[in-house]
Amino acid sequence: MQKSKKIVILGHFGVGKTSLIRRFVEDSFSDKYKVTIGVHITKKVVEVNADESVSLIIWDLEGTDEVQMIRQAYLLGTHGVVFVFDVSRPSTFQNLNRDLEIVAQKTPDTPLIVVGNKKDLVINDELQILLKDNGIKADYLTSAKTGDSVNEMFTHLATLLNDLS
Amino acid sequence: MTSLKQYKEQYINQNIQFVLIDQEGTILESDQTFIELNLGDYIYELHPFFATYSAFLDISDETMTYNCVHLEFNEKEFITDVKMMKKGKLVLLVIYNLTGHYNSYQQIAQARNESIINSELVVLKNLELEERERFKNAFIRNFSHELRNPLTSIISITKLLEGSKLNNEQSQMVDFLKESNTNLKLLLDDIMSISMIASGKLQLRNKIFSLISLLELIDFTYRSKTNGGAIRFKMDYDKKIPEFIEGDRLRVFQVLTNLLDNALKFTEEGTITLNVSLNQKRANKVSLRFEVSDTGVGIPSEKTNAIFESFIQLESEGKKEGAGLGLSIVKGLVGLMGSEVHVKSELGKGTTFYFDITLTYALDLASKPIDRAKKKNPDISKLKADKKYKVLLVEDDERTQMVLFKTLMDTNFFYIDLVNDGALVFETVINNSYDIILMDVDLPNVSGDQITKLIREFPFKNIKKIPIIGVTANVFEESIEDYLSLGMNAVVTKPFDFDELLNTMVKFLK
Ligand SMILES: Nc1nc2c(ncn2[C@@H]2O[C@H](COP(=O)(O)OP(=O)(O)OP(=O)(O)O)[C@@H](O)[C@H]2O)c(=O)[nH]1
Ligand SMILES: [Mg+2]
Repeated sequence: MQKSKKIVILGHFGVGKTSLIRRFVEDSFSDKYKVTIGVHITKKVVEVNADESVSLIIWDLEGTDEVQMIRQAYLLGTHGVVFVFDVSRPSTFQNLNRDLEIVAQKTPDTPLIVVGNKKDLVINDELQILLKDNGIKADYLTSAKTGDSVNEMFTHLATLLNDLS
Repeated sequence: MTSLKQYKEQYINQNIQFVLIDQEGTILESDQTFIELNLGDYIYELHPFFATYSAFLDISDETMTYNCVHLEFNEKEFITDVKMMKKGKLVLLVIYNLTGHYNSYQQIAQARNESIINSELVVLKNLELEERERFKNAFIRNFSHELRNPLTSIISITKLLEGSKLNNEQSQMVDFLKESNTNLKLLLDDIMSISMIASGKLQLRNKIFSLISLLELIDFTYRSKTNGGAIRFKMDYDKKIPEFIEGDRLRVFQVLTNLLDNALKFTEEGTITLNVSLNQKRANKVSLRFEVSDTGVGIPSEKTNAIFESFIQLESEGKKEGAGLGLSIVKGLVGLMGSEVHVKSELGKGTTFYFDITLTYALDLASKPIDRAKKKNPDISKLKADKKYKVLLVEDDERTQMVLFKTLMDTNFFYIDLVNDGALVFETVINNSYDIILMDVDLPNVSGDQITKLIREFPFKNIKKIPIIGVTANVFEESIEDYLSLGMNAVVTKPFDFDELLNTMVKFLK
């Protein structure tokens, strides 16, 4: 039977959560920003190996600068979390480590992937220095715009969740 | 009463749908208010949101509310609140259609988020601009600093060349060389001024000086400059302006000459005027208006702001040499004096620059200062003719070494020893008796200011008291003051004028 896994995408507003999902699910991108309110849910089946696939149920949450305020109902039954920040806007990662702690408390024992998005907007060398200076370890640096590392990130998470169960 | 009930049905019930499912997610009942559901279908196949019902079954809560959930059915989007309630072995879903309400909320959130992000981007952009500006200034400062050493040598060598036997053609070439040197030095000074003003490192040094004699100096200079040409220079001032004022004489001079040079640059024929008038006089404050007008090409109105930017040169006809630094220096200096330069211009007719400054003026003429405006030739008569003074030259730059060595030797007043490594200076000083030390500050190993400090701390008077003149390419006032406080008697900046250096030496030689 195909396993079904719920993942939630968290992060400050405007960091590109919706765009990452759109790139992954529809392979498209728009420069226009439409603020997400509440939650949008989409599904995509991911092949994790030759004879297994996982049905990812992706919860695209509205952005918030107060992670503490995320509605608990949205997190119910979550198998995996993706926390996205915007590499071009320091305000979205200034308190990243504190944000991640809160997320970990809210979703205990749940794999968490940290993603720095919009890498197309910055110079890689400068970005590495910036991350280092802020004590940030990102699992993936992505661009929803160019598609860079987007599939890899979601597929990695799907594989991880498949292996865990 | 029946009608009210009807309305209630109409308005509320149309937006609330009740659905009953079992533990497998099979739809058992639905009132079909706004979503058509087929009984017997699995609810999670209708929309992935509903897959969450199984997680709800796993927890102990009896009800759970999901706010603001986007649901799509048959290509129609609803924004809903969904309530799940455990009813025995079944689950009751209550779906509230709040699309209208949430759409207005979305618009507010949209406006809010966009404005926050925009203001963040503005801040980031400004930071980046500031950073770039800082970088530019530091770059310019270092760059001009580096140019000073070679320029000092060029100027001094030119001077040596001038004093050697030359035929007509050669001495004409030396004249050209001298003129280019002067221009280059002025340009370098301008660049330094700009970067110092921009980085806030330039401070005004206010002292009492004679404004009238400053104006007369300018009058004399520009009359000579325009003599015999198609341009006439006119200087005029209100006879009621005070003779002595407190201000930075050098900077006032710099502002006025920059404006006048700019006028000369853009005027083919006609008149250039400097006018100083009195706005008002109160207590010991006086407000003066300085005005420089020309009959030149004029400035298009859209460019009147741009001309004060560094490195902008009007591209119109009458294109002349120069990096266009003069006016931005004027703007910076007048700004430091607490005022602002204004410009009035008419294309083809001419331009007037003016600014008002308020200054303190000296009521008491007893405070009349000694006029140092006239530059004296070095007064070597003070030196003892029968004596040769021992000079220690501490300098690591070979060109500067050579130039200083030769020029000092040529006066016949000096014996010169040379040290080019900071570490060797102290030893040399102790083992000889020098009359004066010329100390380059930027030395390898131990810097000149540190050596000075060591010498001043030495226990024996004959060593401790040796006059030390600092020679440096560092023209920042703080640095110069630092050197003086460490015990240098004077500091001469590169590119130096040999006469100035000699004058300074004479002052400290016995
Ligand atoms: N250059 C660039 N722009 C991106 C990228 N990802 C998203 N954007 C832009 O960033 C803006 C916000 O993207 P969204 O995907 O709506 O961001 P979000 O995190 O879903 O925002 P909220 O729903 O408000 O939390 C949009 O204008 C996108 O076009 C990226 O990788 N590169
Ligand atoms: Mg979004």
